[in-house]
Amino acid sequence: MKKTVDVSIPLGPVHPCWKEPVRLKCETAGERVLRTELELGYMKKGIERIMRGRPWQEVMFLAERVCGICSVVHNMVFIETMEEISDIAVPPRAAYLRVIANELDRIASHLIANFSYCYTIEHETLAMYLLNTRETLLDNLERLTGSRINTAYMIPGGVRFDILPEDAAVMLADLVKVEEEVRRHTQIFETGPLIALRSRGIGFMSREEAIRSHTVGPTARASGVPDSDLRLRHPTYQALGFEQITRTEGDNFARVMVRFQEIFQSIDLIRKCMDTLPEGPIRGGGLCKAGEAAYSGEAPRGELTYYIKTDEYGRVVDIAIRTPSIMNIEACAHTMIKDVTSIADVTATFISSDPCVACNER
Amino acid sequence: MIRYLYEKDLRLMKYTILTSTKHDETVRAIGRHLDMTDAKLRRAMIRRLDMSLLENLGSRWEMGLKHADDGDPLAEELGRELFTRFIPLLDTETMQSIYNETRSMMKEGSSTDEALARGKARVREAILS
Repeated sequence: MKKTVDVSIPLGPVHPCWKEPVRLKCETAGERVLRTELELGYMKKGIERIMRGRPWQEVMFLAERVCGICSVVHNMVFIETMEEISDIAVPPRAAYLRVIANELDRIASHLIANFSYCYTIEHETLAMYLLNTRETLLDNLERLTGSRINTAYMIPGGVRFDILPEDAAVMLADLVKVEEEVRRHTQIFETGPLIALRSRGIGFMSREEAIRSHTVGPTARASGVPDSDLRLRHPTYQALGFEQITRTEGDNFARVMVRFQEIFQSIDLIRKCMDTLPEGPIRGGGLCKAGEAAYSGEAPRGELTYYIKTDEYGRVVDIAIRTPSIMNIEACAHTMIKDVTSIADVTATFISSDPCVACNER
Repeated sequence: MIRYLYEKDLRLMKYTILTSTKHDETVRAIGRHLDMTDAKLRRAMIRRLDMSLLENLGSRWEMGLKHADDGDPLAEELGRELFTRFIPLLDTETMQSIYNETRSMMKEGSSTDEALARGKARVREAILS
């Protein structure tokens, strides 16, 4: 007769499925997870402390080093917070170029998140396809900003470089290719029987639970949380007619599918930006002043908030960063993983929430 | 009993999380709500909550203030959902018994302030126990 025993199973800090070190302690009855506890602190950077007392010109570069995967949005939200404090206006052309850079970064981030998930559920073929597609996006980000990862593209009052007509043409051609590839990848994911077994109905989180732990981004939208995309409130996105994508299943499958759907949406947004790119300067100028503001933007993983206090020379006196992974990892550990019926699903569920430990350990 | 081969003392790291700018503001706000000193509350939180929940304390507090115990003033004052489901400082059964006892005190003729003060004192005791 099969015997059910209570066991405590620690996963990590070094685990083949984890991209970054984190320790997940699962208390189980047989294979059913009863309770989990998360242990952080393996890669604490102390970046908020390093930022304090430095001029904004230095903090700008530090901000995008909080996370290597969504560095563009850290740059964007930090700069937009400084603009909010100092009342600096952004020329329309620069605002559109910011959206292009941000959406390229979002697609790259979503692709790597879905790559990780496919890799975790042992669908390595699809995982490698996704990683290959991501390269095209990073090439285009490099063409636009001069760098693949830490771009430092946005500055108060504008952006650093304009887009060249020949680069724009290459980008549009590449987007057609990316769209075709992602459509094929989405179909593989949506119809794969092995994927369905490992994803559908697993790691469920209800809408109420998502709201309770303030889950954000695709993780919240997969559980049907309405009005959970800050792009709905961003003036440039409003001008582009942005609408939020929501699903209601709340399981691993829905979280990955929301990211796939958002990739198509981002491609459309970039095309709209290119079609309606206004003429004019890309830098309006302006001085960073003393003040205090809390400002939020929509990162690939969800709501990213910067609280900044500056002095009259534009030095950062105090700063606090609330990254989306803080909420999503917590919700994942205490809600999605709870009651999972197989230990093998713990890793897949954890990765489905797109956890960024680097963001968590600023 | 099964024990982990490798176990770290996380109290110092948890304390560092709780004393950062925004977390400190949240701890003080919760302390004011419960009439508790910050030091005692921090100690209870370090003991009861894991690192990820401590990191997410601010968001859970904000969401709790918005959505917990809608429409029941007594439950709101005691934090019936706020301190069980949003910030799990005590278990649901204990909180429910405190809530029921406070409600029956009010029914039996005690003044609202008196019953609430007694109820909150029991919540504090349960959190510190």
